[in-house]
Amino acid sequence: MLKVLVAVALGAVLAGVASVAVINVASPSLAPPDKPLYNYGTR
Amino acid sequence: MRLAPALLGALLGMLALGPALGPGFTLRYDMVFVPDPPIFRDISGFPRAVPSDLVVALLSYPIPAMVVQKLILLGIFLLAAAGAAALVPSGRTPARLVAAAFYAWNLYLAQRLLLGQWALLLGYAGLPWAVRAAAQGGVRRFTISLIPAAVGGFQAMLVTLLAVIPVAARRAERWRAVATTGAVAAVLSLPWLVPALLSDAATDPAGVDAFAPRADGPFGTVGSLLSLGGIWNAEAGVPGQGFWASATVRLLVSAVAIWGFARLLRHDRHDRHGRDRHDRDRDRDGHDGHDGHDGHDHGGRCDRQERRERRDPALAGLAVAAVLGLAIACLGAFAPEVLKSLIGWWPGFGPLRDGQVYLAPLALAQALGLASFARGRIGLAAVAVPVLVLPTLAIGALGRLATADYPAEWRQVQRIVNADPAPGALVSLPWRAHRVFRWTGGRVILDPATKLFARRVVWDDTLVVESRERGPIRVTAEDPLARRVGALLAGPGPAGAGLAGAGVRYVLIGDGNENEFLRKLPDATPIFRGERLLLLRL
Repeated sequence: MLKVLVAVALGAVLAGVASVAVINVASPSLAPPDKPLYNYGTR
Repeated sequence: MRLAPALLGALLGMLALGPALGPGFTLRYDMVFVPDPPIFRDISGFPRAVPSDLVVALLSYPIPAMVVQKLILLGIFLLAAAGAAALVPSGRTPARLVAAAFYAWNLYLAQRLLLGQWALLLGYAGLPWAVRAAAQGGVRRFTISLIPAAVGGFQAMLVTLLAVIPVAARRAERWRAVATTGAVAAVLSLPWLVPALLSDAATDPAGVDAFAPRADGPFGTVGSLLSLGGIWNAEAGVPGQGFWASATVRLLVSAVAIWGFARLLRHDRHDRHGRDRHDRDRDRDGHDGHDGHDGHDHGGRCDRQERRERRDPALAGLAVAAVLGLAIACLGAFAPEVLKSLIGWWPGFGPLRDGQVYLAPLALAQALGLASFARGRIGLAAVAVPVLVLPTLAIGALGRLATADYPAEWRQVQRIVNADPAPGALVSLPWRAHRVFRWTGGRVILDPATKLFARRVVWDDTLVVESRERGPIRVTAEDPLARRVGALLAGPGPAGAGLAGAGVRYVLIGDGNENEFLRKLPDATPIFRGERLLLLRL
């Protein structure tokens, strides 16, 4: 029973972080995104 | 249930690729597939896309190239997932599925996919199969397992070699196994090895700074590498990967996975030793009064031999490869001078510049380590963990991967140039390696002209990378002809005669900035003029 509870709690944390991460990316940001200055990419 | 990991891999592939599976070509950075790619191409400089482009061209003969691309991309996920599952020692279904999910959905695969390095990912997908075959032995099995890496080319093969040599070295017949493994890999590497050794391509040590791994999250370079990230190009990052909560969870999962792998190794050793001791006791009981010294010596030798035979070479070899890979990755970040001296001494060390590539064995070790915790129904739920810690890879990394179709004028130019039997190279302008077209949705791609034509294409393979710490880093062109043409274009006055003297027959000007170049080529004859493309003959 304890194992199930721990697994559910961990799952909830992971799902919460995942949702926030997706919302973070999907929502429009105030700062303009970095534009590459060069033709290939930035480090 | 045997096919479950492969099915899971295909599902994850569909989820990750998303819009990239629609009609059209998926174009991003080095991932440039073109319609009707020519089978025989005149390749110059370092053989980067050898033999991957040839295989794509052959497959595109009976199947449309865009379908070939989708099959390859989906195949990478499927092969990777099924391979990782096949390496799980316990054979439990939840463990196999967790290994499959982690190996087919992690930051390493995501970043390399977003940099368009599908050929390297072929080697990554075949890695577990190659490790398994190297551990089991058998030339035929090993040769077959190495095919994805052989198709991928030099990077895919080097990453695979990093893992399979230590695995072969852990087998009982150590030297014979290493020699066989090395020989098979060398033969399958010939398509790129021979042109690489014959080419006078230069390797600029400045690439060490440009391609060194970088911190792409809040935990520094080492934290990024342990989480299987740290790719040199900030544009190849998965959206939102630097978000502290995601990065923390990812690092924690990686730490747990490494712990799990260490536990697997320890159990493997204890199990074998336990069995060895049991066998020794049984032997002693059965052979009481056996003669002294010689017998004991013989027994000791047999014991050692037997013990080595029984130990799982895949796990032990993979541990060595993961540590070595991490060390190579750290070299560029923490000891760049060592790498620069090595490249200065012999350009063959050039492939070590992008050291993060060598994290592939660590990714596999982590997949097996995480899988070792998966038991029962709760363990089965852990299949979702890799996706939850990197959710923004889904749907083509939230739109970073999508399809585009070549405008008709590109096909027309391709037909005109490829129909001309007269020899002579084609110079692609503007003089830079990468392009941003409106029709690619603003995605940066390698100049498609490099893949479209059967004749030699001269393009600027100089790489300019903007570094926050060092400002712009220029990695000089590898192809000597490109350096010569670049100097002609940069020099004063018309360049037409000089280009013709260098064996150039065509000049293709894209992007509508033709005026800049027409001044340099006053005597050239326009052959085709499209909305955004101009083809000139010298």
